[in-house]
Amino acid sequence: MFTPVPLIKGLLITLKHLFMKPVTLQYPDEKVAPFPRFRGLHALNVSHNRSKCVACYLCPTVCPAKCITVEAAEDDKHDKYASKYEIDLLRCIFCGYCVDACPVDALKMTSAYELASYKRDDFVFTQERLLDKR
Amino acid sequence: MVNLTIDDKQVSVPKDATIFDAAKAAGIRIPILCHDKKLHPFGGCRMCLVEVEQMKGRQIPACTTPVTEGMIVRTQTDDIIKARRMVLELLLLKHPIDCPVCDAAGDCDLQNLTYEYKVNSNRFQDEKFSHSIDYENPLIERDMNRCIHCGKCARICDEIVSFGAYTFISRGIEAKMGTQFDGPLNCEFCGSCVSVCPVGALISRPFKFKARWWALDKVKTVCSYCSTGCNLTLGVKDNKVLTTIYDENQGWHNGQLCVRGRFGYQIASSDKRLTTPLIRKNGKLEAASWDEALTLVAQNLKKAGAAAAGLVTPRLTNEELYLFKKLFKDALGSDSIDHSAGYAHSALTAGAAESLGYPASSATIADIQKADLLLVVKSDAYETHPVIGFEINLGVKRKDVDLRIVSDKKGKLTKLPKAVTYLHKPGCEVSLLNALAKTIIDENLVDAAFTGGVAGLDLLKKGLEGYTPEKVADACGIKADAIKTLARDYAKAGKAVILLPIGLGYPGHGKELAQAVINLSLLTGKIGKEGCGVLIMAEKNNSQGAVDLGLYPTAGGKDAGAIIDGCAAGTVKALYLAGENPLVSYPNQQKIAAALAKVEFLVVQDLFLTETAAKAHVVLPACSFAEKDGTYTSVERRVQRVNRAIKPMGLAKSDFDILNALYTALTGNAAYANLAEAFTAITAAVPAYKGLTLQGLGENGVVVHTPSKPKFVAVAGAAPRAEEGKFALLTGSALYHCGTMSLHGEGPMHVCPEGYLELGREDAKALKLEGDELLTVTSATGSVKLKAKIGLRMPQGVVFAPYHFAAQPINSVTAGDAVTLVTISR
Ligand code: SF4
Ligand code: SF4
Ligand code: SF4
Ligand code: SF4
Ligand code: SF4
Ligand code: FES
Repeated sequence: MFTPVPLIKGLLITLKHLFMKPVTLQYPDEKVAPFPRFRGLHALNVSHNRSKCVACYLCPTVCPAKCITVEAAEDDKHDKYASKYEIDLLRCIFCGYCVDACPVDALKMTSAYELASYKRDDFVFTQERLLDKR
Repeated sequence: MVNLTIDDKQVSVPKDATIFDAAKAAGIRIPILCHDKKLHPFGGCRMCLVEVEQMKGRQIPACTTPVTEGMIVRTQTDDIIKARRMVLELLLLKHPIDCPVCDAAGDCDLQNLTYEYKVNSNRFQDEKFSHSIDYENPLIERDMNRCIHCGKCARICDEIVSFGAYTFISRGIEAKMGTQFDGPLNCEFCGSCVSVCPVGALISRPFKFKARWWALDKVKTVCSYCSTGCNLTLGVKDNKVLTTIYDENQGWHNGQLCVRGRFGYQIASSDKRLTTPLIRKNGKLEAASWDEALTLVAQNLKKAGAAAAGLVTPRLTNEELYLFKKLFKDALGSDSIDHSAGYAHSALTAGAAESLGYPASSATIADIQKADLLLVVKSDAYETHPVIGFEINLGVKRKDVDLRIVSDKKGKLTKLPKAVTYLHKPGCEVSLLNALAKTIIDENLVDAAFTGGVAGLDLLKKGLEGYTPEKVADACGIKADAIKTLARDYAKAGKAVILLPIGLGYPGHGKELAQAVINLSLLTGKIGKEGCGVLIMAEKNNSQGAVDLGLYPTAGGKDAGAIIDGCAAGTVKALYLAGENPLVSYPNQQKIAAALAKVEFLVVQDLFLTETAAKAHVVLPACSFAEKDGTYTSVERRVQRVNRAIKPMGLAKSDFDILNALYTALTGNAAYANLAEAFTAITAAVPAYKGLTLQGLGENGVVVHTPSKPKFVAVAGAAPRAEEGKFALLTGSALYHCGTMSLHGEGPMHVCPEGYLELGREDAKALKLEGDELLTVTSATGSVKLKAKIGLRMPQGVVFAPYHFAAQPINSVTAGDAVTLVTISR
């Protein structure tokens, strides 16, 4: 047998919400402030004008998505540095293992999440683009 | 046998075993840092501590303590684990712990044990070491800050390599592993020390920072330089051979390699490799397609038919060599094929074949350490086959083998403890060996029971008449008494092996010398038994295979010399060179150049655009050993498998595929469907290889033997050549090189980049030389400019030059004689 009670209950809820403050965000006019430990775009810490990365290959080894490419080279002082450091963000799952693995605190994840691009190539972040330039 | 109990397991081991050995036999792992199965126990690190009940629970090192009957050993008590952790803490105290930038990480014993024993903090505190790092030499970086003082590098360099580059210097906390006067390392660069270093204190510079150990694919294969046939593990990443990896359990040589094997792997992934076929158009070599190139080659070979000739390098696999022969025999009807300039294999194909009944050595490498006496003909045996040299070192130092060297120059071997060297004038080896045989006969030292079954003794006796030690003594510069003593000692030794290196650099080491050597071993019955025999050490990785498969004219065809002459005379219409580089490696460069310029059609199949390839009409890019499968046969007739590690470079094809394609183009059918079929054909055709299967070869290969039909053959020694005011020039191999291929291995080139003329102090003084002046060496054939290298090896009036270098072509002065007389001027 039809009773209108549930319908009325529902309509009341709807009515209540019509007069409440909306929860949706007017993106892109408004932006969320991510939580401090949010895992967004990677950045390479800088020291002595170059990335702190010593090309130990731990992050490419641990990365479950196999999206980090590192190539090591020897500088004039016979020290090791990363002549190439690339992350293919299209494959990255933002797990943050790479940051955990880094023994020299060269890598971090920033709060940047606006990563859309028009071209596939633009998703490959080279060392230059990853440097934390602040 | 001694019985003992380790961790409640009963084991019984020989009485000279240590607790470590016993545990290993029982399948119990005791951690070690300073111990190595190849070296004498050292007992320096205390990582291997164990408790023995009979010793009231005292902790003792397992690696140095011999087992005793009824011992009860515990390897894993709490106290022991505590002690081991302390050992690690103390080691880590001064260690830089720079694993992120250390190439040993992943393969580092200290790192692995630290992880295993969960040492993540340190109770102690101290400053780190601050030794300066040795970046001076091109191949080995020495960072003594990482050193854990295990002493393995010093011990291997002394015990096995017998070079002795390292020793501990300073005392106490200052102690470090040092070199002579604490200067830069300057040694043979065999890399043995790098391979055993448990940490990253010694690392390979060519591989520095190239890749992580765990990212490398490890492919087991065989070294493609000399015929020692060392097994090798290649480290491969992204289709590139990046390094060689040490595996102490690999091969009879326990992973030992020489500088060429360890550091010369760059031939595989060099960017100087040929990657496409080239065809000469308007006088210039231009890139072409395989179809175009093969069609052109097939047309010209077909046109030449029986007037086609082929020279092939014995670096190819057995399957490829066999196919090469088949191509010439069946598809072209030509028997004019040869390798190694002809003379470099005659010791086997003519000498041993006649004297022993088979073209191979009678001894194996294992016989070296089992012998009582070792007679080495020419100290160069070390330079040509360094890892066999290690066996000699071990024999002399550990097994007390009596080492005798008959040589025209001194060398590494002559410096071994108790080695006796008989320094003779160049070119009289045969006479000298004949004199030895003569003495053995005259003094009745002949093993009559053995020689009874050998034909030709009377002829030999007759042939040796003129070779009394007294007569030979003067000519060869050794006292008659010394000759007699050597003969007696050789004859009286219970077991004796004679070593004879041969190769392109040694034109004097041909049929006669091999037969003179074999006569000696036959006379005394020192053949066909353990620890006895003759080891004729052919030059290249598959030289023995090329000989076994008959890669030389067997039905009246032209040999290498005749082929070159035929090219000049126009009787050879097309010349096919597979991997040979005669312009640099065959004697008489001028003659070779003229012949190559003359021949109507020249095709060269090689890895690189060699000096010879640059003259060709068609150049075909072939694959290196790392890009193919197949088999090689080593000096002791060990047939071993080569395994493909990387894909071919560019458009390069394996020699097998190229030859098979040509065979198809010429006959309409492929010669063999695949390698396995070719191998089966070999086992059917070559009696020595009968019954072998590819699978059956396994990881260590199989040594094949053939029954011998020995025979004495009298040989005449040539009169040594000498002329007033002229020097006797000897050619040969430098330790760092093998043939001309090692010139493309960056490692060897870092240490030995160019040709030189080695002369003794007296001669240098007479010529007023000081260091590395450029000298002009002139012979009747031509002249060449070489840098002087003054040393202690060469006797007065004798000079030496390695033959490998195209930029300093020694073959522009040599003409294939054992000794070349030259004048030297500034
Ligand atoms: S966040 Fe995860 S998936 Fe992305 S690069 Fe790091 S390890 Fe790889
Ligand atoms: S883990 Fe750190 S130091 Fe190592 S390669 Fe990655 S970013 Fe560089
Ligand atoms: S490379 Fe060989 S010769 Fe040189 S120090 Fe090391 S072990 Fe000795
Ligand atoms: S350099 Fe290496 S092998 Fe030599 S003592 Fe030090 S740790 Fe041992
Ligand atoms: S060159 Fe000869 S001795 Fe050296 S590693 Fe290779 S096979 Fe062994
Ligand atoms: S391994 Fe036994 S003391 Fe070093």
